[in-house]
Amino acid sequence: MAPWLASGLVYASALALTAGGITLLYITTRTFNFAHASMATWGFYVAYTGTVLYGGSPYRYFPLSFLFGSLLGVVCYVGLNRPLLRRRAAEITLMMSTLGYDLVLLSGIQIYCDYLTHTFRLFPRRVTMSSYDAEIFGMSASPLILPLTAILILTVFHLFLAKTKFGISMRATIENPLLAGVSGMNSDKVYLAAWVVGGGMASLGGAFMSMAMTGTPVMGMMTLPFMFAGAILGGLYSLYGGILGGFLVGLAEYGAVYYLAMLGGPWVLGYRMAIPLLIMAIVLLVFPSGLAGLPWGSLPRKLAGAMRGVKS
Amino acid sequence: MNINRLYAGYGKFKVLFDLEMEVPANEITVVVGPNGAGKTTLLNSIMGVATVFSGDVVYQGKRITGTPPHKAARMGISYVPQMGNVFAGLSVSENLQMAGYWMGKNELNNRVDQVLDMFPVLRQFIGRKAGTLSGGERRMLAIAMGLMRTPKLMLLDELSTDLAPIIAKRVMNEVARLRNELGITVLLVEQMAKRALEIGDTAYLLVSGQVRFRGKAGDLLRDPELSRVYLGIKES
Amino acid sequence: MIITLLVLAVLAYIFFTGGVPLLLTILLDFAIFSIVTLSLNLEVGHTGISQFGRVIAVIAGAFAVGAVPGRLLAWFMGLPHGAEYADDAVNYTVVPKLTELLASSVVLSVAFLLFSLILAAVCGALVGWLTSRPAIRLKEAYLGISLLAFGDLMMWVGHNWEPLVGGTTAVFIPDPFRVVWAYRFPAAVGTALVLVFLTYVLVRRLTKSPFGRALNMIRDSDVAAAVCGKDMVKLRTYSLMIGSALAAVGGAFYVIYAGTCTAVGFTRLTWTFWPWAYMMLGGIGSDVGILLGVLVLVVARTLILINRTTLFGFLMAWGIDPMWLEYALLGLVIIVVVLFMPHGLVPAKVEPVLPVERVRQVAERRPSEQPDSA
Ligand SMILES: Nc1ncnc2c1ncn2[C@@H]1O[C@H](COP(=O)(O)OP(=O)(O)OP(=O)(O)O)[C@@H](O)[C@H]1O
Ligand SMILES: [Mg+2]
Repeated sequence: MAPWLASGLVYASALALTAGGITLLYITTRTFNFAHASMATWGFYVAYTGTVLYGGSPYRYFPLSFLFGSLLGVVCYVGLNRPLLRRRAAEITLMMSTLGYDLVLLSGIQIYCDYLTHTFRLFPRRVTMSSYDAEIFGMSASPLILPLTAILILTVFHLFLAKTKFGISMRATIENPLLAGVSGMNSDKVYLAAWVVGGGMASLGGAFMSMAMTGTPVMGMMTLPFMFAGAILGGLYSLYGGILGGFLVGLAEYGAVYYLAMLGGPWVLGYRMAIPLLIMAIVLLVFPSGLAGLPWGSLPRKLAGAMRGVKS
Repeated sequence: MNINRLYAGYGKFKVLFDLEMEVPANEITVVVGPNGAGKTTLLNSIMGVATVFSGDVVYQGKRITGTPPHKAARMGISYVPQMGNVFAGLSVSENLQMAGYWMGKNELNNRVDQVLDMFPVLRQFIGRKAGTLSGGERRMLAIAMGLMRTPKLMLLDELSTDLAPIIAKRVMNEVARLRNELGITVLLVEQMAKRALEIGDTAYLLVSGQVRFRGKAGDLLRDPELSRVYLGIKES
Repeated sequence: MIITLLVLAVLAYIFFTGGVPLLLTILLDFAIFSIVTLSLNLEVGHTGISQFGRVIAVIAGAFAVGAVPGRLLAWFMGLPHGAEYADDAVNYTVVPKLTELLASSVVLSVAFLLFSLILAAVCGALVGWLTSRPAIRLKEAYLGISLLAFGDLMMWVGHNWEPLVGGTTAVFIPDPFRVVWAYRFPAAVGTALVLVFLTYVLVRRLTKSPFGRALNMIRDSDVAAAVCGKDMVKLRTYSLMIGSALAAVGGAFYVIYAGTCTAVGFTRLTWTFWPWAYMMLGGIGSDVGILLGVLVLVVARTLILINRTTLFGFLMAWGIDPMWLEYALLGLVIIVVVLFMPHGLVPAKVEPVLPVERVRQVAERRPSEQPDSA
């Protein structure tokens, strides 16, 4: 495995989860969730706390991260998002409200770090979680386990949407909230479920992320543009598109940074923020509906046609 | 159901003005009127979809203004909207399943069989996405979804649009049968005014958000002035 | 009104407890953030652009002033002025000499200050034009996120590219206020207040002009504006350019006053999110409200900051730095405003596109053409 690919895969799985969460929340509640940043960071700190205080492998605490993220999501929905949705607030207002929530969460993270330092003599502001990683076949486990876990979670979620009655009603509400309402579905429950799943995915994604990079209180804040880039690359209206988009952005970032740094020197590392910007610019200007808008079905045929055209 | 002094619209935009209406139980009440008169808005405000500024909607002696749509649906009101009345991304069977969302499993399956008997064509599309159906097929699915709920009150918006005349006639007869055999109250908005007024009991003519005529359906049909100007029905 | 009195009372209290320096600090913060927030309000409140990258223009102004005027002076004096100017070892020795030069002449100092501010405004207008390219195509949230990411990128560029403003270290800026020696602080504050006044007048005149009414029209309805033959692309571009130029002046003045410019200081938190909070509290679209919103929050922040040991001593017993409560305060302000006072302290007046008098005249001119009711 190329050296960048190992952590690249972990990071890409993290972005797939977070970008998927952003997309899910957007297609259900019209909310661009800024709080994804600090929800992700909280997920990391839950796993960190468990690992350093109670021992064992970080993976044991990942379910807790997910649950904590769900809790943060529920609080956001009940306290903030629901009242605004009832008022039919504008998209920009919904977005601002999650920004406020994010800052409150960030404040909580910083205070919690101080508390950890003071009470347990820990150094929670620069954490290398991968040093707690287990080993499989003589190499670190995370590049194998985490992508698989992400795929597993997304498969379960897919089955839930495709097969269960509540899952179908969720799709129905996303597509046509009005008709879903008059058919007797309670959109409130659907939105709550979206925040439970979306919040959980955000925090779990944050826990994943800390296995690929240094965990800091602003980890989520720094990577938020990448999460949004993934969601936008996915077309913003398609859940699976968002997940794929996040994954691609993650891989592209690690790959591009690695090879460019080999070519041009380490100074390249400082400009990685240009990558999500570039991706967003390309998507928005060239194919505005993202990956989901591409004609996947007819793509091979069209490509083949184009090739034949070139030959003849 | 009674509607008292209703002012309703969307956001700040008023569409209905001081509307008084009575929808007697076990009867078909027909609402006709030109495009943009506010017929759809009337149904939307009963269902809690449009904004109600003032006035009341009283259903079974209870004031239901402002109840959210899903509660109204569970009180036995079934609404077949004019547009966006099927879930395009869901299969036909999933659509029917969603329409009877809170029914038990057995009851649900029975009902699905019953409504499919009414529209046998739908059986052959059962696994297909509703978005791939033709206009008329979609309309049939929407009506089937409306009937899934064994309602007490049905709000039907532009039932016959998109349907071939023969199917439209069958649907109208079906509506009449709902009233006659099951005693369902129907509020019917229709462009095919003639046929609708024939099966209807009471009629309202809505123009620019206000009631222009109320009375027996037959009377409106026979009123030479109104039926010619607003309904395009020639005197016979 | 009551709030204004309250604020004045609090200012008086600060004056008597903290003395002049504290009052001046508050006024300076108020001035700089008023400029930035007024410019934000021009774009958000009056034009309806979701500007989540206010920091971009602030950085443009600050970096321009950090990089260019000092170099010009150095070049003029035959001191190092190339890439090495921003190197901390060189910069540390060169800039004091430049400041000495400025201190020797009032005319030179004023010229330096004016040149710096104008340069900042030009650079701001440039990035405003640059950001207007996507802004005329994208709407709301998409645009907001692109701008946010762009602002982060600008900060990282400054942080990593040393010749610009010193990279990880600070670059110093020659001090044009040194001529007045002991009165440096009051002079700087006075200049800042003059700048606020000018900004306020400019913004008011703009929004009252036909240009401003056209902006409001775009904000309220793209379609209506297009139907009336307004060139929306042009209007949005102008609004972004003017707004960004103003914000750049704010950023420039901040670094001139501080005497140094450090890239990492220009975070989205300080220069985008806080101005948003000020604007939302004051009332989006209301220029008087903005001034009030900035004043209230700046005073509150300062009071909390200076009294934090007494107010939050219990936290410090746990090793917790009360500084972090700043974030919570910012977040809570936004949440409270969104939930409970969406129009802010001073709600913006809804002004008709045409004055009532004009509408009456137009109506009288065409008495026969009543709309045909069916
Ligand atoms: N969602 C909406 N928001 C704002 N205005 C609306 C909305 N829906 C309808 N309107 C307006 O309300 C008025 C009444 O519309 P409504 O749909 O009730 O008419 P209608 O009688 O059902 O007409 P049609 O026969 O064409 O269906 C129209 O002028 C329409 O433009
Ligand atoms: Mg209609």
